[in-house]
Amino acid sequence: SQVIKLGTVAPEGSPWHEAMLEVAQKWKRLSGSKVTLRIYAGGVAGDEEDMLRKIRIGQLHATALTSGTLRTIVPDIEVISFPMLIQTDGEFDYIIEKLGPEFEARLAKKGFKVLSWTTTGWVHFFTKQPVITPDDLKKGKLFFWGSDTTYVQLLKKSGFNPVPLAITDLLPSLQTGLVRSFAAPPTAALCFQWFALAPNMTNLRWQPLAGTTIVSLKQWNKIPANLRPQLENVARKVGTRLRKRIRKLEKDAIAAMKKHGLAVHPVSREVKEQWKKLVREKGYPVFVGPRFSKEMFDTVCSMLDEYRRSRGL
Amino acid sequence: MTPMRCLELFRRIILWTRRTEDAILGIALLSMALLPVVELVGRTCFGTGIPGATEYLRHLTLWIGFLGAMLAAREGKHLKIAAALSWLPPRASRIVDCIGAFISAAVCAGLFGASLELVVAEAPGFPSWTAKIIPDFIKQWLEPFGLFQSGGLTTVAGWIPIWVAEAVMPFGFAVMAIRFILHASKYSWVRVLVGLSLPAMILLPPLCSEFASELVPPALTLLVVATALGMPIFILLGGAALLLFWGHNVTVAAIPAELYRIVASPIFPTIPIFTLAGFILSEGGASERLVRVFRALFGWVPGGLAVGATLLCAFFTTFTGASGVTILALGGLLLPMLLKSGFKATFSVGLLTATGSLGLLLPPSLVVILFGVIAHVPIIDLFKAGLVPGILLMIPFCLVCIWHGVKTGAGRAPFRLGEAIAAVRVAKWEVIMPVFVLLLIFSGFCTLVEASAVLAIYALIAETFIYRDLNLQGVMTMLVKCAALVGGVLIIVGVAMGLTSYFVDAQVPMHAAAWATNHLHNKWLFLLTLNGALIIVGCLMDIYSALVVVVPLILPMAESFGVHPAHLGVIFLANLQLGYLTPPVGMNLFLASFRFERPLTTVSRDALPFLLMMAAVVLLITYIPWLSIGVLQLLR
Ligand code: NA
Ligand code: NA
Repeated sequence: SQVIKLGTVAPEGSPWHEAMLEVAQKWKRLSGSKVTLRIYAGGVAGDEEDMLRKIRIGQLHATALTSGTLRTIVPDIEVISFPMLIQTDGEFDYIIEKLGPEFEARLAKKGFKVLSWTTTGWVHFFTKQPVITPDDLKKGKLFFWGSDTTYVQLLKKSGFNPVPLAITDLLPSLQTGLVRSFAAPPTAALCFQWFALAPNMTNLRWQPLAGTTIVSLKQWNKIPANLRPQLENVARKVGTRLRKRIRKLEKDAIAAMKKHGLAVHPVSREVKEQWKKLVREKGYPVFVGPRFSKEMFDTVCSMLDEYRRSRGL
Repeated sequence: MTPMRCLELFRRIILWTRRTEDAILGIALLSMALLPVVELVGRTCFGTGIPGATEYLRHLTLWIGFLGAMLAAREGKHLKIAAALSWLPPRASRIVDCIGAFISAAVCAGLFGASLELVVAEAPGFPSWTAKIIPDFIKQWLEPFGLFQSGGLTTVAGWIPIWVAEAVMPFGFAVMAIRFILHASKYSWVRVLVGLSLPAMILLPPLCSEFASELVPPALTLLVVATALGMPIFILLGGAALLLFWGHNVTVAAIPAELYRIVASPIFPTIPIFTLAGFILSEGGASERLVRVFRALFGWVPGGLAVGATLLCAFFTTFTGASGVTILALGGLLLPMLLKSGFKATFSVGLLTATGSLGLLLPPSLVVILFGVIAHVPIIDLFKAGLVPGILLMIPFCLVCIWHGVKTGAGRAPFRLGEAIAAVRVAKWEVIMPVFVLLLIFSGFCTLVEASAVLAIYALIAETFIYRDLNLQGVMTMLVKCAALVGGVLIIVGVAMGLTSYFVDAQVPMHAAAWATNHLHNKWLFLLTLNGALIIVGCLMDIYSALVVVVPLILPMAESFGVHPAHLGVIFLANLQLGYLTPPVGMNLFLASFRFERPLTTVSRDALPFLLMMAAVVLLITYIPWLSIGVLQLLR
């Protein structure tokens, strides 16, 4: 019998965790208990980078990564979560459908097998004072989580004041006023109680946060070849269903936060153009080329145009 | 060259290497304090800090940890449970030492191999053209080591490959292995015998892999016995982790992976920096000036200084959160103050060891915030629930201090306005320090790490330029001493997490929780088991890992027994505090032993009365939920 150890930062009992449990159960049944998916949830195996490290050494075999970490394996994947580019769920699904196979082939070259493409929702700005235009956001300091210096540069070039901090600093720094805003998916803002200290949400989809479940090919290939397609099929189905569920969950999260005092500020079409223009002028030089290939970026752009035209937009 | 000149040259090279090592460490430690200050100034004045400052800081912590641990191995300063065995005849004691050195070198060699495996796995593979050059038979032999695989590249601050930053781990373990061998004896033939540990570590594991799981229990026993006879504690923890992972067929590279994760975590830079600030103050003679201030202002209160120390430690912990930092940062400053005022050494050491974890429940404690986030309890509710328990934990301490003050008359002086003003005037640069730091943090000016760095730099300027108690030589000596201490601490915390990660990997906490769900049917029995289990957790894990690993497991159980989540939070954190003081492996005992340079056994004995007092209060707040929940409802 074969154990596949999967780590995730998704908390125990969250939809992501439940989906993984479902996959585990179905794999067990399909394989006649030969393949066991053992789940380490809630970040007990560390954050995404830690888990990727543990997969490289073979302690873990599978994990769910967002595009920020996936880009350390295949840089071009980051295009799908570039700010102000993909704007709707339909566009996101279309791009994944079209480019998924290409990304998967590149990941396979690096030793990873994709089990499903899911999502963590849309990143929004949460702020102490209402923010609608880019100039509003430029006034206060913006929390930035992590080590991505290029991303910090993008924010700085755009005129924002990012303060790179550890995730555990977020609540204390919102409290002391060291930062006045942060960007996060609404589900996370609710789950970690961050919104309580920054009760204004800009109704602007800054970027989608793709989530991809991967397993190391080394471990995957140990599963009998006749079983693999069935197991993969199940994982993909559950992943697609999860994507829909997360989208509903995001709406529910916003509604729940509204009940607890969150104000959602609408952004008009013209102001949205301002945001797009800002990223186009300041963000493209930092990312397109240095971070991911221009070819991939152009491909995604033309696919988006195609999709938008086909929907009469 | 004559043999004499050869020897002389050799000695010079050794001396030169030592000086270089000291200098590198000193510079690394100083840059740790400088970097956040530069970032803060840059950000505030020019709107552009250092890109990736937090990243550099995290990895500097790792480097200082390992370079410091190497230094501790050089100086024989790694923490041991037992001091030299005085009852053994000298010859037997030397043999025991050599066996200890043999095991230590072997464990370090094993950890070297494990970290090398990690570094290779993280490095990108050899470029593709090498495949053409390298003969096939060599390639076949190299393939299993992962030298030709590239699973992407993670970087530090966007440009330093992470494997380069991690390379300090195999390097450090290799140097420590060699140092354990060289320090085993002054006779070359004994060193050669001890050095056999290296080939043994290469040959034995593959030869014994068939009966690995049978070998684990006897080997663990050997490690425990050797530790009782004077082997460093980190060798016990690291050796146990190696054995368990190897015995259960999981890659040993998991140990350095976890060690890296914890030591290079964003919360850890406060440890070296606050420790440095404490060292600067204590070596700079601040304690004498502060004793005078305290005696002049509060000398009329019996035990006033001890009460003040207790409150200060608790207060410091409320905003540093991690309880251990308190001992490292304030211990070295407060102990001489207590001793100079006439408090007994046993009392003072015990008090300062135990106060290292007071204050954890009071706002704005970061661990309380993290508990709230993980357990989905409103944070403000948790602080309300923790208010009375947090204060209750401090009351017995204060009473004992006053009682001790009355009994010994330590630190007593009548109040005189003139003396008070004079004392404060002399120590004014040091007296304003806490206010200064609090202003920095609570005005939203900087983070905790930055505040600690500002404090360290400020202290350095005050002690060298204003009070002139430290000269360049003194600063250098102090930096090296501080780095060796930090290294000794971080290596223990790191390998302890490596060991813990075995239990997480084997899902031991989950199985324990499942067992408890099936066998415990009574709320009070559950709470009692929880008390016991959490003390063990407190012994093994640092507080942040305990939060992430244990809270999700006990939460549903507590819910099913009708324990209020806020009450659970209070119980959880209060019990962990006990774990940090529980002999023989409570982390605060280690830290105190390091900082006060006293044997672990002495520190444990001195802290015991305080531990018992805290245990009584913890039982009280566990079994009288009203103390937390009732207060929470009152304050609503
Ligand atoms: Na590699
Ligand atoms: Na304390």
